[in-house]
This record gives sequence, structure tokens and C-alpha cells, in this order.
Amino acid sequence: MADVTLSDIRKSYGAVKTIHGVDLDIRDGEFVVLVGPSGCGKSTLLRMIAGLETITGGMLKIGDRMVNDLDPKDRDIAMVFQSYALYPHMTVATNMGFSLEHRGAAKTEIAERVNWAAGILGLTDLLDRYPRQLSGGQRQRVAMGRAIVRNPQVFLFDEPLSNLDAKLRVVMRGEIKALHQKLKTTTIYVTHDQVEAMTMADRIVVLSGGKVEQIGAPLDLYDRPANQFVAGFIGSPSMNFIKGTITGQGFAAPGITLPLPAAAMPLAGQSAIYGIRPEHFSLDENGVPVEIVLVEPMGSETQVTMKLGETKTTGVFRERINGAPGDTIHVLPNVEAVHLFSEERGIRLN
Amino acid sequence: MRADISPRAKVGLYGLMCVLLIPFVFPTWWMVTSSIKPISDIFAFPPQLVPQNYDWTTYSKVFELQPFVRQYWNSAYIAAVVTVGTMIISSMAGYAFARIRFPYANAVFMIVLLGLLIPSEVTIVPLFQMFLKAGMVNTHWPLILVPIFGAPSVFATFVMRQFFVTLPAELEEAARVDGLGRFKIFTKIALPLAKPALASVAIFTFLHSWNLFLEPIVFLSSADMFTLPQALTQYTDAYGGPMWNIQLAAATLTALPVLIVFIIAQKQFVEGLAHTGLKG
Repeated sequence: MADVTLSDIRKSYGAVKTIHGVDLDIRDGEFVVLVGPSGCGKSTLLRMIAGLETITGGMLKIGDRMVNDLDPKDRDIAMVFQSYALYPHMTVATNMGFSLEHRGAAKTEIAERVNWAAGILGLTDLLDRYPRQLSGGQRQRVAMGRAIVRNPQVFLFDEPLSNLDAKLRVVMRGEIKALHQKLKTTTIYVTHDQVEAMTMADRIVVLSGGKVEQIGAPLDLYDRPANQFVAGFIGSPSMNFIKGTITGQGFAAPGITLPLPAAAMPLAGQSAIYGIRPEHFSLDENGVPVEIVLVEPMGSETQVTMKLGETKTTGVFRERINGAPGDTIHVLPNVEAVHLFSEERGIRLN
Repeated sequence: MRADISPRAKVGLYGLMCVLLIPFVFPTWWMVTSSIKPISDIFAFPPQLVPQNYDWTTYSKVFELQPFVRQYWNSAYIAAVVTVGTMIISSMAGYAFARIRFPYANAVFMIVLLGLLIPSEVTIVPLFQMFLKAGMVNTHWPLILVPIFGAPSVFATFVMRQFFVTLPAELEEAARVDGLGRFKIFTKIALPLAKPALASVAIFTFLHSWNLFLEPIVFLSSADMFTLPQALTQYTDAYGGPMWNIQLAAATLTALPVLIVFIIAQKQFVEGLAHTGLKG
């Protein structure tokens, strides 16, 4: 186990810059998730930590060692790939013990470590099988087994659940989290799925366009996103954004005036973006009238697409709503949960 | 779709396939049956598709008239050495072209492929002069070295490259993280997975070497150095006319191992070629 420190890490392919100076301190034993949309550079960053991509600029330390120019094998890391990358011509046991065998470990030690990992991951009965004889979830477990068998300082996961179906993804998510809690090895996990990020991470790093947008605990990012990008990326369904102007009476948006917290009043006169999460609307006769566009009953809650003034927004309600498209209901935004962002750069204002 | 074919159409289809089969099967049938006919029956009219008289002595004469066992051995060991050599060279070259980034890799590969376009008839004279200077004429070295470094190996390199290109890059990256260097990745990961492609390379290289005719007649001059295709031309009577039934008996014996190899390995052969996107 070790700290991982990224200082002004940069990556360029010729003239094209993909990572623009990332600073990140990952503490020993921490589970950090790199999240962002496709092409944001999260996998590149992980591959640079693994040593599979060269580092153009900056400094990368694992523990006390600077590892910029070390081969992957000398960084004491283990990686789980999106496609699992199991060796098809080797059994589960050989796959898991391969790195130890290559490093000259004794056969008894290899068998011991493989059996230990197989025991943790429930693979004991599958050790003699080949990867082609396993289901997706089992392959995923073998890939994790291959990583933990060597007891590395850092685990790297590159979108390991994206090839699984939705149900299995939830199960494996829990297993990876449980494994981390058991082993307490520093883990860096890449995903584009913000639900994975929220549920698994000690801290989330949101990336966009090769830059860090925000670093923080999942609920900090959810409750106080630093900018409009993070606000829109974290949370599902995503936050509603309404353009308008802050006035003494509230937030004047096209066709409607929305309530604002008292703390926002000093910003009066400023153009801004009003952000409100779908679950922060409530049904209230004294609220603002909205026109229903679509009702999607989910069982435990109801998701309603509605026209708030002239802006299409989404609301999620605990109540069951039987309205039809075109009907009017009254909703009240929770003013304490309103986020205001500057119109030009999307920076948080309140 | 095949299940939709009516029984009548099926009969027609199979009938057509049987007719198309004739040009492929008939020469082999004629070779095998003629090898046990007296020579006069080979030219009988109407032709005898099924032998009416048998002459089994043709097979013993094959061994009496030529050092046939020795020639069999020559063909076999040359083909084996060429096959192993080509597998080594082509797998390493194919891997390098597919996986190692180096300047002008594609241009170099194109230049290598151009070797396939030059007919062996064009290069045979300069090659003869080269091997003559090296003192290798009437030895088996030219028959071993030319295919290993020439066109058959280029084709094999192409087949291997096409296979290695399809190998997921993540497998190699996983191996790098596991601590393997480039050569170990090649021997421990890439090569074991390339078995189907290697099998097809082995089969067609073996066939090519076994059937080689032009090079042996140019480079070899003594009967005990001959390979089988060359030896077949030596079964002639005192006037230089072919002794057809003996020649065909020798041809049958020559074709036998090839047929056996192909029957045993045809699955790998087809699979290997399927990997390259080529048709067999």
C-alpha cells in the first residue's frame, strides 16, 4: 500500500495535448474514482500511472519513489482491464499465478497465494477452467484475482464493469468495494458511470477535456458542485439548468419567476444559471404552475418531464402522479438546494 | 437459409456439386488406378476407369530404378527444416510488423510483400550464380535457404501479421504489468495464441517445399540428392520416354504424405486462413 502523488502531470501526442497538468494526492488505502465523459483523459491518466503510456511532463510518485520512467512491472501496481485481458490459453489458476511465476516465486507460494485469492473471490471451484468456460462475472473475478494475488501497492481499474449487464454490474460493484474494505489497498478506478463513482469512491475526481474539474467526497460533489459541468455530470437524472437573471424578487427565467435563497440576494442584477436537482421539487399548491410533458412512473417514485416557464425540466416525486401531458400541476423548488452558476464560465456563485 | 431449400432443389444442388467434383477427383483416381495397370491398359480405348488387369510390380520397380527411399528422405527433411525455419522467421517478422512501432513499418512491410510479386523464374539464375560462388550447388542448402527467406516466408509473414494484428492489445498490456518483456510476451502470450495461424503456415509451407520442382532441377544434379518431384521425371525408358505406370506409382507414393497431412490438419488450415481474412 502506498500514497500516489500526481504533480502537474501532462500528456501530449505530438502537438495534441490531452492531459493539461493534473495535481492529485491519493492517500494510502484510499479508493479514488476518476470519472468523466468519453475522451476526458481519465483512461489515459490511469494508463500513465500504470506505465502503459509515457508521461510528457510533471512528476508521478508511488510511495516515495518517482516512477515516471519505470516500466509497469517495476511500479508494483496491478491493473484490471475493461476486457479483463485474461490469457485465453491458460487456466484460471495459471492466469492468477502467472505474474508470480514469472517473478520466480516458489510453486508452493504461488499455489498458496492463488488459493488465498480464489477463496476471497469465490473462485476455488473454477481454478482448472479456461476463461472461455466462464461467465462475464466470473471472468471479472479472475481479473481481480490476478491483481490481488501479487499484493501490489496500488490497484488500477479501467472501466472494469462496462462489459457486464446492469444487474451484474451492481453485484460486482459491491464486491469490488467489499474487496477494497478487506484489503485496504490504494485503488484508482476509472469509470464514465457517475453512479459507480458515487457508490464506490472515498473521493471522486471529475475530469473534463484533460483537466480536473473538481475533487471531493461523493456527497460534497453532489451537494456543492464547483461548476455547472460537475453539477450536470454528477446525479441521475441530471440537474436542471435554467437561464435567467437574479432579481430582488427571485430568479427571473423566461415565462416564470423562481424562488431564491436569501443569501443569493446580493447577486441581484446578475445573469446566471439556476440549477435544481429533480428530487428538489415538491408538489405544493402554493408553488409555481408547470405543464406536464411526460409522466414516467418508476414504482417507488414518479419522474415527470415538465415545462417550467419555457424551459423543459425534470422532476422526481415520491408521490404517484396521474396527470396527463398538457395538465398543469404546481411544484415548489427547495430554495436551500438551489445552485447558481455564472452564465459565462459556469462557476458556482452561491 | 439452407433449411428452406426444397428436396428437389437439394438433389439438383448435390448433383451439380458432384459434376464439379470430377475435375478435382478424376486426376487422382486416374493416377492411383494407372499405377497398378500394365502400361498398355493405360492407353486402352475406351479408357478403363476401373483396372481390369493388375500389375503390382510397378511399386517395387519405383524403388529399384531410383534411390527412392533416399529421395523420400531428402524431400521429407528439407520440407521439415523449411517448415520449422519459416515458422520461426514468419512468426517473429509477422509479430514485429503487427505489434512493434518502428519508423516506416508499413512501408517496409509493403516492400517485403513485393517479394511475392517476383516470380521464382526471374530470380533463379542470379540465385544459381550466388550459390555456385558459395559452393552450395548440388547441396540441399539452396532448397532450404531460398524458401525460408524468400516468397513462401513472405506469404507466411503476411498470414502471421494478419493474425497478430487481431490480438487484443490489452493482453500484451496485462503481460507488461505482469512483468514480461517484449520477447517473453511474444513467446508466452502471442505465440501460443497463434496456433491456428501457425498450423496453416506449417501446412502450406510443407506443401510448397514438398512440391518444389524448379529449384531442385536447377540446383541438384546427382540422383541421391534429388527430391521427389524431380525424381519422378527420372522414370524413363532407354529412349527417354516416360514409364507411365511406374511414374504414376511413384507419384502416388509422393502424394500420400501430403494427403495424410492435409486430412489430419485441414481444420486448422481452414481456421488459420479464416484468421487472415484470406480464402483457402
